[in-house]
Amino acid sequence: MSEIITAQALRALVGEWLAKGRPVAGPSRVKPGLVAYAAIAKSDDLILDGFVHPSNSIKEFFFPRCERLYGYRIEGRKIELTDPPAPDTEQIILGARPCDAAALPILDRLFNWDSRDDFYNRRRAATTVVTLACATHDQACFCTSVGLAPDATEGADAILVPAGERRYEVRALTDKGRALFAGRTESATDAGRACDGPPVRFDAGRVREFLSANFESPVWAELTMRCLGCGSCAYVCPTCHCFDIEDEGARAESATTSAGVRVKNWDSCQFRMFTQHASGHNPRANQAQRQRQRLMHKFRVYPERFGAILCTGCGNCTRACPVSLGVAGVLEGLK
Amino acid sequence: MIDQLRQTCRRLLDEKRVDVVIGYGEGPVGGAAIPVFIRQAADADRLIWNNRCLANLTTYLKRPEVRALGRAAIVVKGCDARALVVLEKESQLAREQLYVIGMACDGMGDPTAAKCAACDAHVPAGCDEAIGQAAESAPDARYAELAAFMKRPPAERMAFWQNELSRCVKCYACRQVCPLCYCERCIVDKNRPTVIDTASTLKGNFAWAITRAFHLAGRCVGCDECTRACPAGIDLRLLNLSLARAAEESFDYRAGVDPAAEPIIGAYARQDEENFIR
Repeated sequence: MSEIITAQALRALVGEWLAKGRPVAGPSRVKPGLVAYAAIAKSDDLILDGFVHPSNSIKEFFFPRCERLYGYRIEGRKIELTDPPAPDTEQIILGARPCDAAALPILDRLFNWDSRDDFYNRRRAATTVVTLACATHDQACFCTSVGLAPDATEGADAILVPAGERRYEVRALTDKGRALFAGRTESATDAGRACDGPPVRFDAGRVREFLSANFESPVWAELTMRCLGCGSCAYVCPTCHCFDIEDEGARAESATTSAGVRVKNWDSCQFRMFTQHASGHNPRANQAQRQRQRLMHKFRVYPERFGAILCTGCGNCTRACPVSLGVAGVLEGLK
Repeated sequence: MIDQLRQTCRRLLDEKRVDVVIGYGEGPVGGAAIPVFIRQAADADRLIWNNRCLANLTTYLKRPEVRALGRAAIVVKGCDARALVVLEKESQLAREQLYVIGMACDGMGDPTAAKCAACDAHVPAGCDEAIGQAAESAPDARYAELAAFMKRPPAERMAFWQNELSRCVKCYACRQVCPLCYCERCIVDKNRPTVIDTASTLKGNFAWAITRAFHLAGRCVGCDECTRACPAGIDLRLLNLSLARAAEESFDYRAGVDPAAEPIIGAYARQDEENFIR
């Protein structure tokens, strides 16, 4: 037995959530030719088929690209701090790719490591994630190379699995997921089915061995010469989580008074500035070293420290890369 | 054309005329060709040429990793070659040390890229070697999209840019793919003090997009690589067209077209008009 919801009933349900003021986000055509995860205003804005992966990831709903930590005002010797709005707004993410949701339990480990990131954790608690199993994959996809699949359930509260024309099997995975769909599905005898996984493109275990043995190797420069050093791979990645903390909007109100905000912004190890020292020295002086760092972090350091590969094989890094490099582009070359 | 390109590559490397040939290689099936760096004549067959050779390879001339490879030959299209003219004018390029292989081009991409409709450089100028022939085509008006956009009311145009720039994540792909964004330290990387908000808020994103546009005014050659590279699909082309039109209408200048013309940003003339700044 399976529980089924039609596409029509699903849209009606999303309409109800929106009518009740519950924010919903999902794949949406933000402009012609571009599908991205975004907050939607009406249920018809949600796109459920006809694309492989949105241009971004769902991480920004938990770890926004710019987050205000606090405001400050300094008057003489007096410092006044103000809290930002509480990150507790309930939100539903519908139609996330399984490879995006799978990043959440991986990120949970980092954001609850030496200190608990209150912003991330509160957003995580306030969010329900409903994934949509894949009906197709493209040549950038490699979830099967990192132990996942087109119907992986990691990080999801419920998963919708395509079950024929405009129907989805609903598999509720957590109480949050069950609450969303309770009484809204119909029992059926057929089950949904995701597409077959993309071919395995590399052996993650052997990649880790290679990384452990080849910190210095000419392959890094060989394989990454075309990298241009932008941060698009990191910013469309569901697992990349580096950030920088800055004071912004600082303004002097008078000779003795100033005010501003402290913000947490996304950052990327592909930027030269990421490791630039005040002295002028840069321990990662060239792009090959920065690319090596990205792969070391994902396939060696994170697994050693947190027991998980920091990559879900979504392929967004390759899709976004102006020169089609990305994680798999380098790792395939290690063979 | 491919055979001739590969022969040229083999010859240049065999004769030790250059140390590396920067060209296009096979990318993902059906996707854009990828930049390749050929250093041995035996690898010349990795070079390809087709309508997926979108990248403007001249951006690699600024990268220290590529400079370290030695004397270079570079494969360019007509639009790309214009960047070399600007780079030379701006003393960023010792032209005699670079071997330029110009490829005749009938347009790139499928569907054909927007820039190609207005192309008047199907055969690159100023190359050391030209390969292939391209059909002459009557180019569309260069600023047609801009003219249509400017007919919309100002509030609508502002809403358009707010919507576009709200998606900017500050990955700086636009800067990194640009052959003319070669500043040793970009203004957004200046943090003592910070000049431009690093946050990708609407304010920070406008500050970045406008600053970059102004810095490319009269310099941008319209290769549209920034637009192609943007993971957020921001229509930077429209911004660049606006700058190019200002340069052409007010100063009768097009960046990278005439090697003899003085760059408008680098030259001063008493009769310069100022009526475009209002």
